[in-house]
Amino acid sequence: MIDMDLDSVCDAGRLSDGPAWQPWSRLNLFRNPFGELSIAERAELAIVNENLLDQITLDLRTAIEFIGDCGRGKSTRLHWLGSRLPQATYVYLPEEGPVPAIPFGNPLIIDEAQRMNRSAKRSVFATGVPLILGTHQSLSRCLRRWGYQVQSVRIGQQNTASLIQQILNRRIEASRSGDGPIPIVSAQEAGWLFDEFGSDLRSVEGFMYEQFQRRIADLMDRD
Amino acid sequence: MSKPKLSVELTEPDRIFRGGDTVTGVVRVDVDKDIACNGLVIQIGWRTHGRGNVTSKIGDSVTAFQGQWQEGESLEYPFELKALDWPPTYHGHFLNVDHYVDARAKIAWSFDPKASAAFQMVPLQAPADSSAAKANSLPAKVFVALILMVAMVAVFAGFAGVVLGLGWIGLPFFLLPIGGIGFWFLKNWLPKYLLGNVECELSDSLIVPGGSLTGELVLKPRRSVGINGINVKLEGREQVVSGSGSNKTTHRHVFFEQEETLREAGKLMPGTELRLPIAMEVPSNAPLSLNLAANELIWTVVVRIDIPRWPDWVKTMVFQVVPSGESVTSDAANLAMPKAGTESSSGITFEESVNHLWQVRADRDQRDMLVDAIAGLTFSVTAIIERRLLYGGDHDANVYPQGHSVWARFPNPELPLVLFVPHDMGEEFEQLGRQQWTGQATVVGWDDDHGRLQLAVES
Repeated sequence: MIDMDLDSVCDAGRLSDGPAWQPWSRLNLFRNPFGELSIAERAELAIVNENLLDQITLDLRTAIEFIGDCGRGKSTRLHWLGSRLPQATYVYLPEEGPVPAIPFGNPLIIDEAQRMNRSAKRSVFATGVPLILGTHQSLSRCLRRWGYQVQSVRIGQQNTASLIQQILNRRIEASRSGDGPIPIVSAQEAGWLFDEFGSDLRSVEGFMYEQFQRRIADLMDRD
Repeated sequence: MSKPKLSVELTEPDRIFRGGDTVTGVVRVDVDKDIACNGLVIQIGWRTHGRGNVTSKIGDSVTAFQGQWQEGESLEYPFELKALDWPPTYHGHFLNVDHYVDARAKIAWSFDPKASAAFQMVPLQAPADSSAAKANSLPAKVFVALILMVAMVAVFAGFAGVVLGLGWIGLPFFLLPIGGIGFWFLKNWLPKYLLGNVECELSDSLIVPGGSLTGELVLKPRRSVGINGINVKLEGREQVVSGSGSNKTTHRHVFFEQEETLREAGKLMPGTELRLPIAMEVPSNAPLSLNLAANELIWTVVVRIDIPRWPDWVKTMVFQVVPSGESVTSDAANLAMPKAGTESSSGITFEESVNHLWQVRADRDQRDMLVDAIAGLTFSVTAIIERRLLYGGDHDANVYPQGHSVWARFPNPELPLVLFVPHDMGEEFEQLGRQQWTGQATVVGWDDDHGRLQLAVES
C-alpha cells in the first residue's frame, strides 16, 4: 500500500459545522464517499460515454460483450445501461451455487456471463434475444454459432488518471451534505493513484475509503 | 436539464428520537423551470453506509404533491412520519447506520431530484430476533461443519481407490481430506486429551451496555497439565460484506478488545475440578449488536486455555448487547403459523396467505412453515405478470413437461411469484404482456434462489 497523503482531502481541515453526532458533517459530507453504493446509485454516478447507448441495438441476435478483469467497471457499465433501457433485465450469475433463472429482457443483460452453463446458453441463445454481457472471457464464438452478431469491447484501457479524477470527485459530490466546500481530488493525486493502482478502480476506491476514514477520525480527535 | 431543488428541514434536527416517535418538518422545493411532478414522495427509513453492501428499510411514506410546478415557485410541504424502532444510529469504521427522512420528486425522463435529512435514533428495546438462540449459534455451525466433514471423508474414501489408481497425480486429492481431518484432530481432540471435557457457558447472552457478563469455566484435567494461562477476551467488531460472488469481500474491524486472565501460568492437577467464574464489564457506551444482512456488529467472548507446545483449547461465544428495557415481539414473530394451516381447511384465501407470507418473508423458518401449510392448496389467484423466463435455473421445478415459467407478483402486497404454466397456455400468457392475470393455481413451494412463491397454474 502506498504511503501517500491526499493533501486536498487530508489537509482540508474542518469544512462545516454540522451537528457533532454526524461525524461526516465535519467535511460537509453525509457519509464516506467511497463506501458501497446501491445498484441504482451506482448506475446514477457512473461516468460512461453517452455514445455507448448508440452502440446498443435491440435487434434480434445482436450481442455486445464487455470483457475485462475485476474492478475495471464492467458491472457499472451494465447497471448504467440497464438504467437507461427501460425494457432491459439485469441478471447476475453468482460464482457459487446453481445458475439462477434468466428472465426475458429487451435487451437481456447478463453479468459474469462466462458462468453460464451449456443448458443456460442453449435456452437463452436459442431465443435470439438481444444481449449485453459482462464477462471475463469472450463468448463470441459460441454466440456466433447461434447466429449472433457480436461486438466485443475491452474494458479497462479507458480508465486514465483523468477519468479516475472525475469518478472520485463525482463520488465525493454525491456524498455532499450542504452548500459550501467539500474535499476534492486533484489531477496530481489522481495521477499518483493511477500510477499505483493502474486501471483497477475498485482498489482505488478501497484506498480512498481508508484515507477518508483516517481524515474523519483525525477531525473527531481534534474536537 | 434543470431540475427543482429539494431540501428536507427537520423541526428538531438534534433531537434523539425513539422508535414510533413522530418526526416532523418540511420539504422545501425551489422550482427554476416549469415542470410536471409525477409525485413528491416523502418517506422515513434507515440505511447502512460504509464498506458493506447497502441494507435499508423504508417505513411510512406519503405522496405530498402531484402536478405542475411553476418556474420561480418556492414551496413547502410539511410532513409527520413515525420513526422506525430499529436499528440504532451508529457510526463506525466499516459500518454506519443512519435514519433519514427522504424526499424524491418523480420527474419524467430525468434522474429524480432528491434530498435527505438524517436524525438520531436510539431504541429503547431490542427487536424480537435478538434471541439467545440466535446469539449462541456457534455450536450449530460446528455441528454443520462436522456433518460436512464426515460427508467429505465418506466421498473421498470412496474416491480413494480410483484416485490412487492414478498414481502421484491423485495423491493431493487424497491428502487434502486427510489434512482436514488432521487439522480438526489437532484443534479439537488434542486439547481434550489433556483437559478432558471442558464446559464453558455464559449465564445470559443478552447484556445491556454497562452490564456484567458472567459465566463459568469448568474443567477436570485427565492428567497433569502445565499451562501458560487461562484468558478471556471480550471483543466487539464490525463485520461487513461487500460485493457478491467472486467479488465478495468480508471486511472486519475490531473496535473493542479487553482481555483478562482467569488463571495465571501454572499447573493443573489431574482429577481436580476447577471452576473459574467469568465476570467482565461491557462498556457503558458499547454499541448495540446489529445483524443487518451484510452488515453486522458482533460481540464475542473468547476463552482460551493456553497449553505450551500443544494446541490451545478455545471457545468463542457470541452474545448480544441490547438496549435496556424488555424485548418486544414483533407481529411477524407472533404470527401463529399453524393457525394459517387450520384456517386453510375453513377457507383461507390466497390474499390472506400472501399477507401472512409478506410479513414473515425474511424469516426463513416461519416462511417455510407457512409455505408447507399451504402447499397443495388451490386458490383463485390474481397476479400481475412481470416476465417469462428464458431459462428456469438449475433448480427449475419442471412442474409441466415443456411448460413455461413466468415471474409475476401479487398486486398488494407485492409478493413475488413464479407461475408454472402448462405448455398449452403459453400463448395466452405471451399475449398478456404485463397485465393482470386471474385464474386457478396450486401452491407448490418456495423459490429460495429468487424469493418467490411457486404456483402451478391449472389448465
